[in-house]
Amino acid sequence: MTITATISKIRRSRRARPGSVLVSASWCMIGLIVLVVIAGPWIAPHDPNAQDPLLSVTSPSFAHPFGTDQLGRDILSRLIVGTRAAMFGPICVAVASIVLGLFFGMIAGFRGGWADTVIARTADILYCLPALLIAIVVVGLISGSYLVTIAVLIFLTFPYDVRIIRSVTMVEARLPYVDAARTLGVSGPKTMVRHILPNIMPTAVATLLLEFAGSLVGFSALAFLGLGVQAGSADWGSILADGQEQLFVNPAMALAPATLLILVAASVTIVGDSFYDRYSAKGARDE
Amino acid sequence: MSEHQPTGRAILQASDVHVFAGSRTLLSAVDIEVRAGECLGVVGESGSGKSMLMKAVLGLLPAGTSSTGEVWFDGTRIDGWDERQMRAIRGRRLSLLLQDPFTMLNPLQSIGVTIAESLRSDQRLSRAARRAEVERRLTEVGIDPAVASKRPFQLSGGMRQRVAIAAALAADPDVLVADEPTTALDVRTQHEILELLTALRRDRGMALVLITHDLRVAFDMCDRVTVMYAGGVIEEAPAAALEGGALHPYSLGLMLAEPPVAHYAATLNAIPGSVPDHDDVKNRCSFAERCAWSTSSCTDSRPALREVAERRRTSCGRIETIADELVSARATATRSESRPAVDAGPALLTVTDIRKTFHTARLAGASVANVALDGVSFSLAEGESLGLVGESGSGKTTIARAVLGLSTPDSGTIQLAGHDISRFRHLSRRDLRDVRRLVQVVFQDPYASLNPALTIGAALREAVDMRGDAADPDAEVKEALARVSLPASYAAKYPSGLSGGERQRVSIARALCMKPRLLICDEPVAALDVSVQAQILELLREIHRDVGMAMLFITHDLAVVRQVTERVIVLSRGVVVEAGRTDDVLDDPQDAYTRSLVDAVPGRASHAPAEPDRVSAVGTDV
Repeated sequence: MTITATISKIRRSRRARPGSVLVSASWCMIGLIVLVVIAGPWIAPHDPNAQDPLLSVTSPSFAHPFGTDQLGRDILSRLIVGTRAAMFGPICVAVASIVLGLFFGMIAGFRGGWADTVIARTADILYCLPALLIAIVVVGLISGSYLVTIAVLIFLTFPYDVRIIRSVTMVEARLPYVDAARTLGVSGPKTMVRHILPNIMPTAVATLLLEFAGSLVGFSALAFLGLGVQAGSADWGSILADGQEQLFVNPAMALAPATLLILVAASVTIVGDSFYDRYSAKGARDE
Repeated sequence: MSEHQPTGRAILQASDVHVFAGSRTLLSAVDIEVRAGECLGVVGESGSGKSMLMKAVLGLLPAGTSSTGEVWFDGTRIDGWDERQMRAIRGRRLSLLLQDPFTMLNPLQSIGVTIAESLRSDQRLSRAARRAEVERRLTEVGIDPAVASKRPFQLSGGMRQRVAIAAALAADPDVLVADEPTTALDVRTQHEILELLTALRRDRGMALVLITHDLRVAFDMCDRVTVMYAGGVIEEAPAAALEGGALHPYSLGLMLAEPPVAHYAATLNAIPGSVPDHDDVKNRCSFAERCAWSTSSCTDSRPALREVAERRRTSCGRIETIADELVSARATATRSESRPAVDAGPALLTVTDIRKTFHTARLAGASVANVALDGVSFSLAEGESLGLVGESGSGKTTIARAVLGLSTPDSGTIQLAGHDISRFRHLSRRDLRDVRRLVQVVFQDPYASLNPALTIGAALREAVDMRGDAADPDAEVKEALARVSLPASYAAKYPSGLSGGERQRVSIARALCMKPRLLICDEPVAALDVSVQAQILELLREIHRDVGMAMLFITHDLAVVRQVTERVIVLSRGVVVEAGRTDDVLDDPQDAYTRSLVDAVPGRASHAPAEPDRVSAVGTDV
């Protein structure tokens, strides 16, 4: 008696849907990281810098779940306390990139003309540069201040944001509601902030999150190479680099930070995707 | 020519069709029957479920929806068939023609390949025979066979729709389902396509299901008409009988809501409110709350579709009581009235010889020049309403954008109330502010005209603030909403919570907040349903009358122009071909182009049978 739904192929969205288990798990992961960032020093079971020559490179045990390193320091504690350092750089890069991206991207997309040509072509040229490679060279040459690393990564990331923001701004700027604002006499900057910005926010936030995930991996890669590490702190990347040498004695020392990196980067990416899916269709959807 | 008579045998039949989307019901208990060789019109506004019905019948429902019910095609039951079985008849015996000629053809395939692909696969043809067949098909739909080597983007909208028809008919189907086949086309092209469909149907003895929102089109084309509303059938009747008199208040409302093209009407007969969701009205007459004749019996239970006369079915439970009233309501509503005289003041807007050429860059070679305006001059008096009529590409929107300062003409001058606004960039800050307060605009697309991130109140408040001299801005926002008959509570809503008609009211309110002396309306009702269209037109006329605001009204619809403007300018390819008083131009067009526009309006044959050249045209057809 039934004409069943006829699309023969089951169409499955490749993007994570809001409300799916994956998205919930990702939010939990992010929540956990936030907690660790705030309360790290109090949660850590041991003093991350307490050395104990007797415990040099031990395998995971009840007292030290991820074992200890060459100097007998507890890996778990070092990871927990190092979270703050691991997050600081990527957050700076992601936030600064999207701010610069919004500023230049909206001007280029809204104004058009020569402003667009100059901004868009410059962004294109910068975008062509192999970011990590340049970061390695520059940070290596000016021998590794952490702030220099952040500045270099911002400089190499924001052109990508400019391009994305420019394209979504161009779409919005052609819609009649922007023309209507112009005929009311609303000034250009005010139109951008009041009318266009709220409507491109979903894209901006999603880009911010993806940028965060990308630079988290980028920072760790640099730290792995011993570049741009914050002095005296236990960075995930440097723990990973140290752990690599002890792979056969205490594999947890390398695997734990690596897994953590993958989990955090993946969670943020999934949340970014679901956020975009959810809010970008806001205007079109019936409520 | 004996085969074009409907044979009476049902070729496509669906009964008790329901369509569900999750927990929502989109369509309930719909029956349709298409007889071999006949044309059935399925008429309804957006949300009526007319497209959903045909998708359910053809097994083309989108993901997330499901349906129940029986579907019979040529004596075989086809509901429950899987995709592979359906594919054997869909496109071959049961073909579908879609609305948008711009997206339904594969842009990378040449026309010839597209049509060859749809030819019957049970006949093996040699390459030459296949090419000859494609050429024959193209000739049949009135296209030069040389077009076969072209690609869709090289063709106009009308040509593409012809190609789509040729492709849909390539397998010689028994039934063609055409879903709004002419809605995206200009009026003259629409006329040609509809005539083509009628001729093809007659020659082939094919059945045609025409899904449309336009009753006039259905009356011109169809043998029988089914009127749908909120996911159900409201009335079903032979086209001529329905045209002679509706047996449901909604069908009557639809017929009356269509603004008459032949004469001025003092009041337009809008249906109040908007189309409800099926689920909100499932236990009562779906039209009750918008119906002038509803009583408590209408909301107590859902009246069933029943046979009330020979081949006529209606779902109005009170039709026996109100039939006479429907007849008299129609008689009063369709009376021709004389237009109130408007005393034109001094000139407010003077446009002199403006020209504009758009250049499209190409990857290689010189850019392509596209002349949008080729020396247009006109003037508009204070308090006057002037229509700008033309098909797409005639330059009418370019004029509006130039007057609004959204684009700059290449040459020529535009004077608005003593300001030279040909070059908005050269205006001083003060002049610019003054000019912005003189002219405001209402755009076509109600869904993109309002910022989705701002509440209605914030959008209106912005306009009031931009005017800059409001004593009490909040009170003015409330006043503006009341002016366009929206409750004050709407100030807190976002555009996504409003219907298309309501959004258009907000756009009008926003424009009025500036207290302009000139309001430019760029196709303000083209995207709205018929019943809502009349509400908005009536609102604009009211504002024009009460506030004495001048209007520049841009439209492709001659009936709309007749109702809202005193003077009209006809544009074709960036040139003014005719100008004059609206009634004079429409009653007795002097230019050949204007005449072809007037002749192409659907429903003219029946509504104005006294037109001499039209009668002779019909005479040669039959």
